[in-house]
Amino acid sequence: MNRSRYSLLLALLALTGAAQAADTVPLQIELPKPLFAGTPRPISLPNLEKPRTGKRPDLMVPAGTINLSKGKTVTSSDSLPVIGELTFITDGDKSGTDGTYVELGPTPQWIQIDLGATAKVAAVAIWHFHSQARVYHDVVVQVSNDAAFKTGVTTIFNNDDDDSSKLGKGTDQAYIEGYEGKLLDGKGAIGRYVRLSSNGNTSDELNHYCEVEVHGSLVK
Amino acid sequence: MFASALRRWLPLALLTLLAFGLRTYELERRPLHADEANQAVKTGELVEHGRYAFDPRDHHGPTLYYAVLPLAWLRGETTLAALSETTLRLVPALAGTCSVLFLFFLARSLGFGPAFLAAALMAVAPASVYYSRYFIQETLLVSFTLAATLATQRWWQSGRPGWALAAGVALGLMQATKASAPVFVVCALAAAFVVARRRPATPHLSLNLVLIFGTALGVAALFYSSFGTHAAGLRDAVATYTFTSARAAGDSGHEKPWWYYATLFGWEKNGGLIFQQVGFCALAFTGALLAFATRQTLLRATAVYTLLIFLALSLPPYKTPWHAVHFVPGLAVLAAGTLALIPWRTLAVIATASLLFLQLSQTQLVAFLREADARNPYAYVHSSPDVLKIRALAKAALAARPAGAIRIISEEYWPIPWYLRSFPTGSVGYWSTPPADCDGALIIVSAAQASAVRARLHGDYHESFLGLRPGFLCVVFTPVPPAP
Repeated sequence: MNRSRYSLLLALLALTGAAQAADTVPLQIELPKPLFAGTPRPISLPNLEKPRTGKRPDLMVPAGTINLSKGKTVTSSDSLPVIGELTFITDGDKSGTDGTYVELGPTPQWIQIDLGATAKVAAVAIWHFHSQARVYHDVVVQVSNDAAFKTGVTTIFNNDDDDSSKLGKGTDQAYIEGYEGKLLDGKGAIGRYVRLSSNGNTSDELNHYCEVEVHGSLVK
Repeated sequence: MFASALRRWLPLALLTLLAFGLRTYELERRPLHADEANQAVKTGELVEHGRYAFDPRDHHGPTLYYAVLPLAWLRGETTLAALSETTLRLVPALAGTCSVLFLFFLARSLGFGPAFLAAALMAVAPASVYYSRYFIQETLLVSFTLAATLATQRWWQSGRPGWALAAGVALGLMQATKASAPVFVVCALAAAFVVARRRPATPHLSLNLVLIFGTALGVAALFYSSFGTHAAGLRDAVATYTFTSARAAGDSGHEKPWWYYATLFGWEKNGGLIFQQVGFCALAFTGALLAFATRQTLLRATAVYTLLIFLALSLPPYKTPWHAVHFVPGLAVLAAGTLALIPWRTLAVIATASLLFLQLSQTQLVAFLREADARNPYAYVHSSPDVLKIRALAKAALAARPAGAIRIISEEYWPIPWYLRSFPTGSVGYWSTPPADCDGALIIVSAAQASAVRARLHGDYHESFLGLRPGFLCVVFTPVPPAP
């Protein structure tokens, strides 16, 4: 008897809940429509990020780490850059002014630095075009001893969150370009070649590099 | 006789095809400029609901919007959502193509060869091609100006009232396109006054003038009143001059030095890219000097008109690069005049071919290779290609969260409303400052306001960047799916 009363009570509660649910509807909130506006004004923000107070936190690297990429040969998926030359990427000039950066075509493009010998990579510093607030999409940095990057590939940075470049889905954050460049922890990755990819940027579909520095030590 | 006519008119037909091809090739590829998108959404209202009301504050004249209607109907686009970039941009493309033909017939008194050459120079001119692919009023205004000038020229020479009527219609269409139309009329009248050596052929001058200006007023009134459905548009057609004058003289953010338009036809190296029309400009300048030496009426009138237009557009501080299209017809005629005067045929052919090649190269660069590049002097505060990703982002967001809202929170957000036009009205909202509730299926925020929005979000969001235009970044927040 108690059990049947309990069951009846439960059934009544369920029915009450269902009735209440039948009385509820999704809340409709009218969203504001877009307002028409005049021609946007040209702006020239040098960079969106506020200048850092004090210097960038140090990246700790093994003693004896040197810049292995200075003057080294650079190849690219775009063998005929529209502007500049691939040698600009390892010539030591990071200013980003006209004549110091190379412009590669649209769609995903990569550049590859041949360190000349197998190395242990401690850090990679990248300067894309940084004279304007922009973000480069799908930045992927890899190290390998295979020049074709088919085997033995170590990824040290990947912010391609939807794998649109087909190099794997990345979880690293996108970042706004700045005069300091992007400093990546090489994590001791071993390889002779360092390949950097990108897929356009927030201003246009092109790919740019002012300078890339690969810091580490040669593997004996 | 047929063969003779074919030999004569086939080149013009082929030139027209070239002009049309340059102006219509892959019209959908370049992202919409904020101004294009603004006008596109307003056009969508007209296409879908048949409603249009002239806005004297932030929009130009009605012809651009109404001109889309027959094309939209032909292409089966009857709603804002269905309206396409190609349909919209076909309007200035067709107007730009017609401009080439109008210029040819206008310049006929120079001879078939020079007239053809002037038309060819206009057909391949970088500014003309670029803005013929732009859904704004400028190319329509050029086309109607040329039509009005041609019709007036024919009326002046023949006295036929039919040409007077045509001139009136074209003048009315000019006025119904942009409030600045009287500037071009005054400059043209001034040029005619300086060089004209005989009175109009008509024996009924006053009557014909009444016909011309009466027709012009009637045509303009028809458009501004939305074809009789919006009488307040007539008042606003006058009120717009208050806003236009304030913009021309005031602090609009588009102030530039007086030599700005000259630089668009000179030489400029920007970020490794070279933009130049030195040869075209030099030949046109030479043509202006020769015009007064040869006493050729059309060349003299063109030289005076082009100079007056240059002064009229250069003196006010407010300047935008699309005004450059107004210089092209005059410069093309003057350059063609110079080339026609070269006495040695071989040299003339080489000079002509070289100039056309250089102009076509520049057109390829500005209109096809770097059409949205910030270094392109014609791509003025242009939208970044990133905006083309927004539609897919929104689609994926609502697929994951059908009941969620797409929030656009930015001090500037055009052309985003165009790219989200097909989404239900209740699912997309636009704010210039962060609302109390910022959560949603997709939130696109200007970088300057991202911190404020971030503080108001609940739950985990993935952040990425998207460019609205060069130098204007947006942060994209998408909810992180809960762990299974």
